[in-house]
Amino acid sequence: MPIATQEWEWEIGSRTSIWNHSLKELWSYRHLLFGLVRRNFILNYQQTVLGPIWILFQPALTLVTFVIVFHKIAGISTGTLPPVLFYAAGIVLWNFLSDSFIGTASTFKENVQVFSKVYFPRIIMPISVIGTQLLRFAMQLLMLLAIVFYYSITTDLQLQTGLWPLAFPVAILLTAGISLGMGLLFSILTAKYRDFSNLVALGIRLLMFVTPVIYPLAAVPENMRWLVELNPITPVFELFRLSILGEGTLTLVHFIYSLSFTIVLLTGSMLLFNKQGDKLIDVV
Amino acid sequence: MPETVIEIENLYKMYRLGVIGTGSFRQDLQRWWTANILRKEDPFFQVNHEYLHKASPDTIMALQNINLEVKHGEAIGIIGKNGSGKSTLLKIISRIVRPTHGTVRGMGKVSSLLEVGTGFHQELTGRENIYISGYILGMSKPEIRRKFDEIVAFSGVEQFIDTPVKRYSSGMYVRLAFAVAAHLEPDILIVDEVLAVGDADFQKKCLGKMREVSQAEGRTILFVSHSMQAIKNLCDKAVWLNQGKMQAFGPSAAIVNKYLTSTQDAHLMQVWQSPDEAPGNELVRIRSVELEPQLASLDAPLDIRTPLTVRVQFWNMQEESVLSIGVHLFTAGGECIFDLPSPAVTCAKGLVEGECTIPGNFLNDGSYYVSIIIVRDTSISLYYHEECLRFELEDYRENIQWYGKWWGTVRPQFPIQLRQAEIMIPQEGI
Repeated sequence: MPIATQEWEWEIGSRTSIWNHSLKELWSYRHLLFGLVRRNFILNYQQTVLGPIWILFQPALTLVTFVIVFHKIAGISTGTLPPVLFYAAGIVLWNFLSDSFIGTASTFKENVQVFSKVYFPRIIMPISVIGTQLLRFAMQLLMLLAIVFYYSITTDLQLQTGLWPLAFPVAILLTAGISLGMGLLFSILTAKYRDFSNLVALGIRLLMFVTPVIYPLAAVPENMRWLVELNPITPVFELFRLSILGEGTLTLVHFIYSLSFTIVLLTGSMLLFNKQGDKLIDVV
Repeated sequence: MPETVIEIENLYKMYRLGVIGTGSFRQDLQRWWTANILRKEDPFFQVNHEYLHKASPDTIMALQNINLEVKHGEAIGIIGKNGSGKSTLLKIISRIVRPTHGTVRGMGKVSSLLEVGTGFHQELTGRENIYISGYILGMSKPEIRRKFDEIVAFSGVEQFIDTPVKRYSSGMYVRLAFAVAAHLEPDILIVDEVLAVGDADFQKKCLGKMREVSQAEGRTILFVSHSMQAIKNLCDKAVWLNQGKMQAFGPSAAIVNKYLTSTQDAHLMQVWQSPDEAPGNELVRIRSVELEPQLASLDAPLDIRTPLTVRVQFWNMQEESVLSIGVHLFTAGGECIFDLPSPAVTCAKGLVEGECTIPGNFLNDGSYYVSIIIVRDTSISLYYHEECLRFELEDYRENIQWYGKWWGTVRPQFPIQLRQAEIMIPQEGI
């Protein structure tokens, strides 16, 4: 059989194409994805006494701190919502965002051993981190809903959510998209330049203060509002609170800004991750 | 005619030595600026074809111009010294690293086993690790579920399957890890020196499994090993890599022989031209020591079948005296295997020579060294020439389906027999 006519199933060349994973290939690795999500979940609580209860314990403790520091001491307005509800919603979503980001940002550093010994689409690893965080988020969300439920029967709280709960999945998808996008970008940067690993933890901590986590956008003074509005994560938090608690400030323009930012960030960093992934194995 | 399943064409892999990239983010940014915005030549990095042939002090060519075709069902061994590019080649075929130039094309699913226990996590139980490691190596859930019992049985750790692997002994860990890998069903299996781990019994099991995979199931195997016996027995063909280049490719037995002869010719001879520079003392001085293997053919390797002749010549500086020599053979570990004295001979001043032949099929495979002692009047040691010759004997086995390390320092062929002494006849009516 002449070589020229032979059909090859795969080819490895010196250049990495922009996107070389077919959806079919990714699909064939779905078991790996679920297996990794399971593994990450188990590993977090291996040999702890409280086990998965930590997932709820950590936001509960943060909530108490926030209520004391930002509400009682600093006296920051939370709009018409009870501070506990307001902070609980912010903390739960912020945990999801920051844990997903920090987790995906160390993809290369933590998996170099595996990456240098076996091939599978590298993107599976960060996606599995998001999956694990999503699972934890779901559990924390239940806690949030329990608090909402408790408030609605013990106080005369009336939540005017209207049709906003329908937007809930959008808020979650955007949060996942932004954290994955940032995480992929930083996983490349931290693997190549160690300088960036210091930036990850610091950056995400500072980012929280320009995101309406401990204050509603409506409470920001007019002259400073542009700063918070410039942050593409802002609309996501407002949307999330709208969908759960029925209160938030969101314009269509602002939402479209956030959506386009997420799409551009995610596409860009996925392509970068794909292209740099092979090269990094040589240098990490 | 079997079809080609892997085709490697004009493959190069270059690594840059030293720091990552050019060093820092600032420099990389500057580089990017000069190259992409100012459209100048990148001062740090150029890949063009000329560059590939040019040796540069801060780059290393791990592979150069590799061309290879692998047919369906072939088992190909890859041999070469450490750093010759074997692992790099396997990594490129397994899609872990990209070549700098050239292409690899192929058909079918590839699984690579470059390490035992890829994806294993210390904190997880054996059961969980079987699954996760199976997924990472490319198995699907139903596939693992179907083979689960078989994997556990192969590993022999049934009792501990729900214990975290960090509590396993290293042997158990390796067995479990290999068991997962052994149950992969790829079209092409890539294996890198995984047999260096584990005890003899386990190695035997692994090699048996690999033979089964290649011969019975007709899969294609690429196999790196330092065990020439394993290569000869498992592989049809072998590739010899030397400093990133393909030195030879052909039937495995011939390639292995060529490779072994090329690695062995050192330390077999020491010669001094005049007594002034020769080692020794005012009584005797060594002129030469030499180990001459009596090979069947020129390109045959030095293996356990080869008879070896030790020759020694020395200058006797004394008046007439009764001299004898002793040949001492040691294992690499320093254990003396024998101390063989020559008959004492009356020698005048001048050159004296001695010779001793160690028969073939006497020593086991391994490394050995020889020391020679010169004695007067069978009692007074005149000079002890220590560790003057070193040699290595390769293994050779015929009709033995076992590749573990053969025990003992000697492997003599004394008569040994086994026969049926009596046949037990089943008795009726008792």
